Amino acid sequence: MTMRARARDLGIVFFFVAIFVVLSVSTNTFLRQDNLLNILDQSSELLVLTAAITVCIVAGIFDLSIASTATVAAIATAGGVNVAGWPGGIVAGLGAGAALGLFNGLAIGFSKVNSFIGTLATSFAFKGFAIVISGGSVVAINDPGDRETLANLFTGRFLGAKGVVFFALAFVLVVGVILARSVFGRHVYAVGGNAEAARLSGVRVMKVQTLCYVLSGLAAGLAGIFYVGRYGSGASNSFSDTYAFQAIAAAVVGGTSIFGGAGAVWRAVVGVLILALIGNGFNLLGIDPTYQLAAQGVLIFAAVAGDQYLRGR
Amino acid sequence: MGTTPEHDAGTSASERVGPAAGPLVEVRAISKHFGGVHALADVSVSFERGTVHGLVGENGAGKSTLAKAIGGVHQPNAGEILVDDVPVRFSSPRDALERGIALIAQEIALVPEATVEENIFLGVEPRRAGMVDRIALRRAYQELEERVGFGLPAGETVGRMRVADRQKVEIMRALARHARMILMDEPTAALTADETDRLLDVVRRLAAEGTTIVLVSHYLDEVLAVSETVTVMRDARVVRTGPAVAETAQTLVLAMVGREVDLTYPPKALAPEAPVVLEARGLCRGSAVRDVSFQVRAGEIVGLAGLVGAGRTETARLLFGADRLDKGQILLDGEPLHVHRPFDAIRHGIAMVPESRKDEGLLLLRSIRENITLATLSEHSRAGFVLRGSEGRRARTLFDRLDVRGTGTEATVGSLSGGNQQKVLFARWLAQTPRLLIVDEPTRGVDVAAKGEIHRLLVELAAGGLALIVISSEIEEVLGLAHRTLALREGRVVSEFGPNAEREHVLHACFGQVQELSA
Repeated sequence: MTMRARARDLGIVFFFVAIFVVLSVSTNTFLRQDNLLNILDQSSELLVLTAAITVCIVAGIFDLSIASTATVAAIATAGGVNVAGWPGGIVAGLGAGAALGLFNGLAIGFSKVNSFIGTLATSFAFKGFAIVISGGSVVAINDPGDRETLANLFTGRFLGAKGVVFFALAFVLVVGVILARSVFGRHVYAVGGNAEAARLSGVRVMKVQTLCYVLSGLAAGLAGIFYVGRYGSGASNSFSDTYAFQAIAAAVVGGTSIFGGAGAVWRAVVGVLILALIGNGFNLLGIDPTYQLAAQGVLIFAAVAGDQYLRGR
Repeated sequence: MGTTPEHDAGTSASERVGPAAGPLVEVRAISKHFGGVHALADVSVSFERGTVHGLVGENGAGKSTLAKAIGGVHQPNAGEILVDDVPVRFSSPRDALERGIALIAQEIALVPEATVEENIFLGVEPRRAGMVDRIALRRAYQELEERVGFGLPAGETVGRMRVADRQKVEIMRALARHARMILMDEPTAALTADETDRLLDVVRRLAAEGTTIVLVSHYLDEVLAVSETVTVMRDARVVRTGPAVAETAQTLVLAMVGREVDLTYPPKALAPEAPVVLEARGLCRGSAVRDVSFQVRAGEIVGLAGLVGAGRTETARLLFGADRLDKGQILLDGEPLHVHRPFDAIRHGIAMVPESRKDEGLLLLRSIRENITLATLSEHSRAGFVLRGSEGRRARTLFDRLDVRGTGTEATVGSLSGGNQQKVLFARWLAQTPRLLIVDEPTRGVDVAAKGEIHRLLVELAAGGLALIVISSEIEEVLGLAHRTLALREGRVVSEFGPNAEREHVLHACFGQVQELSA
């Protein structure tokens, strides 16, 4: 491994540790168990989405529609619970996410529209779809028993942490292993690194990219289910559009290359946690939240600039 | 060609008389390292005004790095560069250009969407009231065109032009900036024989007009044909600088590799009476491939010769499923074969080493191992997961078999030299023993030693019963390897030659009547 590759690998980890240490010594509330668990709890949705977005970025595509997909999934979950109980709701949420992801993959694959614009377009369409199926109002779970079950599953505490944290970490672990160890994962790197070379080596580029969209759809579906677990309902404003950009930003801060072909799911975790620690630190230190956004902006900028420098572009 | 007097390249500082008399550029004891790798070590060379100075060496010898150091792309870690006897420190190609030094790199840097004249005057456009003065621009272009006589269409979009023409645009761009020295890094690598000849004419004419040309090239004959002075590099150092008339291809090779290298082609096994592996019947695609039919037998090497755009690569891509057929039939072992994508061709044992290893072949950021096993990964997997042990063993076996020179299979493929990168591409296809192997420009940008190794490998594979199609812009390479050579012109097979065909005859067939009249 070259010095530069090592710098890429370790630099971001050192940075994370540095923030962690600074916050530990400068505040007496940061290291408390409830604060740390709270950070993880609040990051659950973003962890899931960023893991999937990382796979997309490595494959050379973007998915800006994840917030809208998660919104549709939240409504589908709440509606599904009312039709077929809480297991039906979970199936409906994941199914809706996967279906919209498949739609993205096929529409963009066949039309060859740039993924950034293509998923920007579908994010509007999916949002419209969410308003249509929800009738513009909140879809709440009718049966208190189902609501209770989902709330217990996702917000009940086990070893001090909420259920969503365990589900999020499990999802991230599975996605990480798939990207790092599977034939599909290897093809993801190949497609993002050099799509033509991959095609001429027998990799079916459109199939790989479509599966990436399905994966990010599934992640959005899971995020939608988390929402219903937390609040007992879904609505067309459940997820703000900024989620997609936060996920891309976190992936990049973690060190996944925006140019495709290089990155890792563990970087997604580090990226999400760095942004979360900065937010938490600003709160604990009582700094104006305005500066928090500015600091995160600078950090994202620096991450991309650092990536380009280390790649020698 | 100008009659430049012979000179001693080691002119000492005390002999300098004035800015106009000394060398245009003098490099004194410069070193450059990337990480722990020395790309240039204590290199000193003088470049005299109005001469063509050849720079040769194997891949990784440092010749491109030297050109880039002079051109402002790389900053040396030690030593100095003098222009007109004044020490300079370029922090970018722009700085070098201000002193009249232009670098034309291997990777052409033009704006594909802009026109020829826009590219040439990009950044130095004649302006009026802050707007580009299009009339003055056209006039400036015509003046320049009269000087060089390339005959390029001023308004053509560069992205639609052939590589050879884009190179001319680069040269004109350098001249539009009043370049006194033009550094050309492998300018003929992507050119056909006649385009190369024309480019070399331009080089001679520019030198006669007073421009200093530094020519970095793998093609020793070219270098010897146009250069007054030749510098040979090996392992980041200058071996010697001297007059070109004192050198031959053999003496240069000896200096480059430090030992004798066999420049001849391996003997061909006799054309076999073996079964036909592949038959193409009436292949058509647009105007690129028109009614192409031929057969390849097991153990046979069929060469495709022709100019760029004659349909060689296009035919290969049809056989491999990289492009769709308009019409025609492909038979493998006598059975009709339908290939819609490379995946289908690969499944049936057809493999292709593509024309451009960087654009179409390699994942430069990934390891050698991953590049070798990319096409055969499913053989090293269980339940969709990669079996790293089995994969690593296969990669190491092929790494050793093809004698790839690198630090091991875990290094990134981008860290290898051109020849070794090419070997990795071969390894990818030998991982699964194909029935038919198509190689498109198998030795482009590859150093002399690796070139011989690749030739021996191809002959050895054919002797083992593999059917081979070899495409190359170097007619000698096609004729040296192939049992049968098909000459293509304008998408059609125009003639067929046996194992001992004359170069001239094949050239005539490739060029068609125009060339026959003038020959």
